[in-house]
Amino acid sequence: MSNSFEHSLSYIEQFFINVKQAQALTVINFKSFPQRFAASLVSILSIGCVAAVILSVLAMTEGMMKTLAQSGLDNTVLIMRAGAVSELQSVMFPAEMNILANNSKVIRDAEGQAQVSAEMFVNAEVNFTDTSGQQVSKSLALRGISATTMKFRPNFKLVSGQLFTTGVRQLLIGQAIARRMPELSVGENITLGGAQWQISGIFSDDNSVFESELWADIGMVQSDYQRGNTIQSVRLALNNIDDLVSLEKEWQDDPRLNIRVITEKQFFAEQGESLTRLIRWLGFPVALVMALGAMVAALNTMYAAIASRSKEIATHKAIGFSPFAISTSILCEAVLIALVGGVSGILPLYLVFDGWTAATQNANSLSQMMFNFDINLKLIAQSMALALLIGLLGGLLPAFKAMRLSVTEALRD
Amino acid sequence: MQNTNDIILKAINKSYQKGDNTVVVHDDFNLTIKSGEFVALMGPSGLGKSTLLHLMGGLDQPTQGEVLIGGQRIDNLPQKKLTQWRAENIGFIFQSHHLLPVLTAQGNVELPLALTPLNRKQRKQHASMALQLVSMSERADHYPKELSGGQEQRVAIARAIVSDPKILLCDEPTGNLDRKTADEILALLAKLNSDSGKTIVMVTHDHKAAEYASRVINLESYILSQNNSLSKNEELLQNIEPEVDDISIGASS
Repeated sequence: MSNSFEHSLSYIEQFFINVKQAQALTVINFKSFPQRFAASLVSILSIGCVAAVILSVLAMTEGMMKTLAQSGLDNTVLIMRAGAVSELQSVMFPAEMNILANNSKVIRDAEGQAQVSAEMFVNAEVNFTDTSGQQVSKSLALRGISATTMKFRPNFKLVSGQLFTTGVRQLLIGQAIARRMPELSVGENITLGGAQWQISGIFSDDNSVFESELWADIGMVQSDYQRGNTIQSVRLALNNIDDLVSLEKEWQDDPRLNIRVITEKQFFAEQGESLTRLIRWLGFPVALVMALGAMVAALNTMYAAIASRSKEIATHKAIGFSPFAISTSILCEAVLIALVGGVSGILPLYLVFDGWTAATQNANSLSQMMFNFDINLKLIAQSMALALLIGLLGGLLPAFKAMRLSVTEALRD
Repeated sequence: MQNTNDIILKAINKSYQKGDNTVVVHDDFNLTIKSGEFVALMGPSGLGKSTLLHLMGGLDQPTQGEVLIGGQRIDNLPQKKLTQWRAENIGFIFQSHHLLPVLTAQGNVELPLALTPLNRKQRKQHASMALQLVSMSERADHYPKELSGGQEQRVAIARAIVSDPKILLCDEPTGNLDRKTADEILALLAKLNSDSGKTIVMVTHDHKAAEYASRVINLESYILSQNNSLSKNEELLQNIEPEVDDISIGASS
């Protein structure tokens, strides 16, 4: 009679024996998985849905953050009326801009002209005829720009057509709009604020938020929207952005000015935060409820799998497989289901939606903002990790049950 | 001095709860099976034949009493050690073979060797030898669904003996088989007993099957004789063999 069981194995040896046993059983479970695929389909699909929803939320927020992060320059300062959280709420006067431009810390060109841009920002109701011949109305951001504005947009490129002519109702459209609304092509006429405007060109700006805007001559926008000579925001470039703190204090102390000073980067980061917060608040609770549902589905599937294989599990125990190995193989099977589910949710989303341009209502500008779904490896890994976690948690109780399964009862049934 | 391979059930009490009732299966039960014996346990259903088998294999624990195998108490071994001990010392053969449908005959037989330190090549060799012993070498690559009931049971026997356990515990091993196939399987078990010295304990309802055993214990009369014995002194019980209802046929030894 072998008495080797009396020799106590070290914990490490015991661990490796358990791992080897679990490996053998897991291979068997994986081999028989195709037979149980249909029974596992509900779990697979529900885990797939969760992975897809989470990935959508993450890809949306990532895409928006990327769009907004690409929109600000490091040394550019945006100035609005004090208390304004967006350009839309702000009103400023040319005199104020002159005071700001005269500051010595602002960059000047060879002719001594300060790099300052006055801008108008209007939420415009745009009417045009779509491809099916129907009249449609969209709310889009219209920016009235001045000659110096281009200096603040180094990535600006004319994709087609030409720049607008000053003093004429012509405008440029960002390429994100052009992609979403192919009816808006160069040469087409659209109605803005009751007047006909012609599209002179389409521009790109390195996928920034400006690609979701219409750009026109500031004078024409002021005139059409009855703004007199008021402007809404001022952009200016500083020689050294570190001067901003002292500059801000200087301007705050100036009784002629009543302004809010913020770096352009910070401004867009704040916008991004408020936009993505909403998506997270809506998306994550939905995903959480779905995740709980998927976990219950996985739990149910694994309980059913154990019930139908109780004799097989009992036989393994009788042969001498350890409860640890048996429960580990059950957990591995649950994770396999989650893996298949995760792939089934993530892969179609990646193939169909990666790089897809979506639009959302920008609460700050009250107009549409376009952004790309950005499905990258990091987000895929995060979504897959969640799917696997659901599988793991769903498999825990069934694995525990398998571990405690009574061989005598299972064989008797 | 105990023979190191003897199976001894000493003053076994076994009961379980069924709702509010306590069902007593065994009360002060004693049995010794000598090393190398082929014992058939017979008797009507409900007498606890399979329970005895499970106690001997460490699959179940007595409520009271001791289970000694080879002089070692196994009823109080921790679960981890018991599992390891079972893998090394016991081979189970069930009425339903419980072969894994996704593995070939060879794969099924190799399975218990995953519990040993043998490498892949050695595992293959051992499994092939076991299959040869049960005359199933030619079907090694067949899946269970491609085998007949008798062939499946042969593979199950090969699986039970592949790690060379000294004790085979068989629960109605021929219950699902026709007479001819059953005889083949029983002859095989008798051969393993006589040639390899395996101690075999077989639960069966089949008198024909019992004829292959070297000792037949009719559990009903065996228990009766135990209850009628004058003394239940533990020391005496160790030495007294209840031979009255112990029918020795000796077909295979």
